[in-house]
Amino acid sequence: MSDSIEKQTSFGIVMDDHEMVLKTPEDNSELTPLWQKRNFYLYPFVMFSDLIGSRHLLSLLVKRDIATRYRRAYLGLFWAILEPLLLAGIYSVIFTILVGRSDPLYAAKVVLGVIGWSLFSRSVTSSAKSLTDSVNLFQFARVPKSVFATNGPITNIILALFSLLSVIPFFVIHDLPITINLLLLPFWLFILSFTGWSIGLLVAPISCKIPDVMNIVNFLVRAGFFLSPVMWTYDMFSKRFGEGWQSVVAHLNPTIVPITEMRDAVLGTSSNVPSWGYGLCFGMVVIFYLFGSIIFMRSAHKAVVNI
Amino acid sequence: MNIVMRLENVTLEYPVPRRYRKEKVKPSGIRNVSFELKKGEVLGIIGRNGSGKSTLLKMMAGVFPPNSGQISSKGAVSLLAGVGVGFNKELTGRENAYLYGALMGRNRKQIDELIEEIQSFAELTHHFDRPFRTFSSGMKARLGISVATAFKPDLLLIDEVLGVGDVSFREKSQKKVKDLIETSGSVIIVSHSLGMLKDMCTRMILIEDGEILIDDEPDAVIAKYIEILAS
Repeated sequence: MSDSIEKQTSFGIVMDDHEMVLKTPEDNSELTPLWQKRNFYLYPFVMFSDLIGSRHLLSLLVKRDIATRYRRAYLGLFWAILEPLLLAGIYSVIFTILVGRSDPLYAAKVVLGVIGWSLFSRSVTSSAKSLTDSVNLFQFARVPKSVFATNGPITNIILALFSLLSVIPFFVIHDLPITINLLLLPFWLFILSFTGWSIGLLVAPISCKIPDVMNIVNFLVRAGFFLSPVMWTYDMFSKRFGEGWQSVVAHLNPTIVPITEMRDAVLGTSSNVPSWGYGLCFGMVVIFYLFGSIIFMRSAHKAVVNI
Repeated sequence: MNIVMRLENVTLEYPVPRRYRKEKVKPSGIRNVSFELKKGEVLGIIGRNGSGKSTLLKMMAGVFPPNSGQISSKGAVSLLAGVGVGFNKELTGRENAYLYGALMGRNRKQIDELIEEIQSFAELTHHFDRPFRTFSSGMKARLGISVATAFKPDLLLIDEVLGVGDVSFREKSQKKVKDLIETSGSVIIVSHSLGMLKDMCTRMILIEDGEILIDDEPDAVIAKYIEILAS
């Protein structure tokens, strides 16, 4: 029996050399297998442990993403503020023309909707494309592939926090109250990005094998814009559909509660999201992460062979 | 025994595209490859295009998992897989060097200590702080070899990179690789440059159709390869 297999059994791990996953404990004095098997229920924890272990690399990748995203633009990072403001301006004009009435705070609501939705959709697509986009990077050295799926969503959170500066003019114009609820904004941004990241983890290995999956994701992201509270609000939906089955279906959209809560935190309003709505939101976050991390950790290494 | 890498019956077959499945096309990849690499060895891998050389390097680097078999290694393994591979075109040479160092598991302080050596060896002078997209292919190759050798991996895997650049840089990079071997590193080189492989390698492997045909001294392996090419 080889040294490597003896080492595996000494760690109490059942060895199956046809299967693989995850790194062994760091030990530079002995030969260690590149791949080893672990129970799938450990994957969600191992993924976090991998990310914490690679935090230096992760921070460099995030800095790289921020540095390169606007590097060749004259306005640089200012685009992160300008973009939601311009979109809010256009949507407000369209909405006023279509509906024929104007809510003085509608533009502010759209800005927050755009920031929240952009964060979610970019987190989904960046982590879903991570394996195909980063194939050149993980050829360099043996690094957990989850790192390359995570730097995009973290970059998006930082840019979204920066984009929040675009709501400052509304505080001045509408004399909005500055409350402690504003501190919840980073939390809801995190929830949006975390959910998008988890969905992306679920999709990334599949998209390596079946490239059409990315087309479906892109379509769902575009369609999801209209099904999410970007141009409409939770109150509009509640007034039209009440709390029937339509409300339950709407809450299956993981962005509805976080975006609504972002608006409430900034505008000082209360949208009366039912407690089961929060339960559904956080339940989906956990379920997406569990499935996403397990599928990514199990399949990502094998899937890259198809790229 | 001072072994830094061991491959035991390693097989990886690429999926056959759907339109070729009915024709029962033999999948490409690597089949039942076994060998060991000792500390300080310079192993050359040769073979025709599509024989599986680069796939084998990627498996040793931990990029691709085997379908079956076991790969074991000791210490840090780094793969230099072509000119400019892995570098971000918008980042400067310096920023790319820091990113590469982090990929190699080095922290900022350790990279700080090596950054001057990287700049000096790569002969990039003021270009080091310019975007990578402005580099010529020679400059890209110089930066690649410079960072790959500066972080002193226990095993460096090189795929067709040492033959690039002008003559003086080729000699310089080959000397750098030899220095790395002397400081306890091991190297595996994939190349079509038989003269360079003969000059640098202590041992060579010939791969044909995903399988090892011969694992021997450079002269014997090169003679066999020439025989195959002529047939």
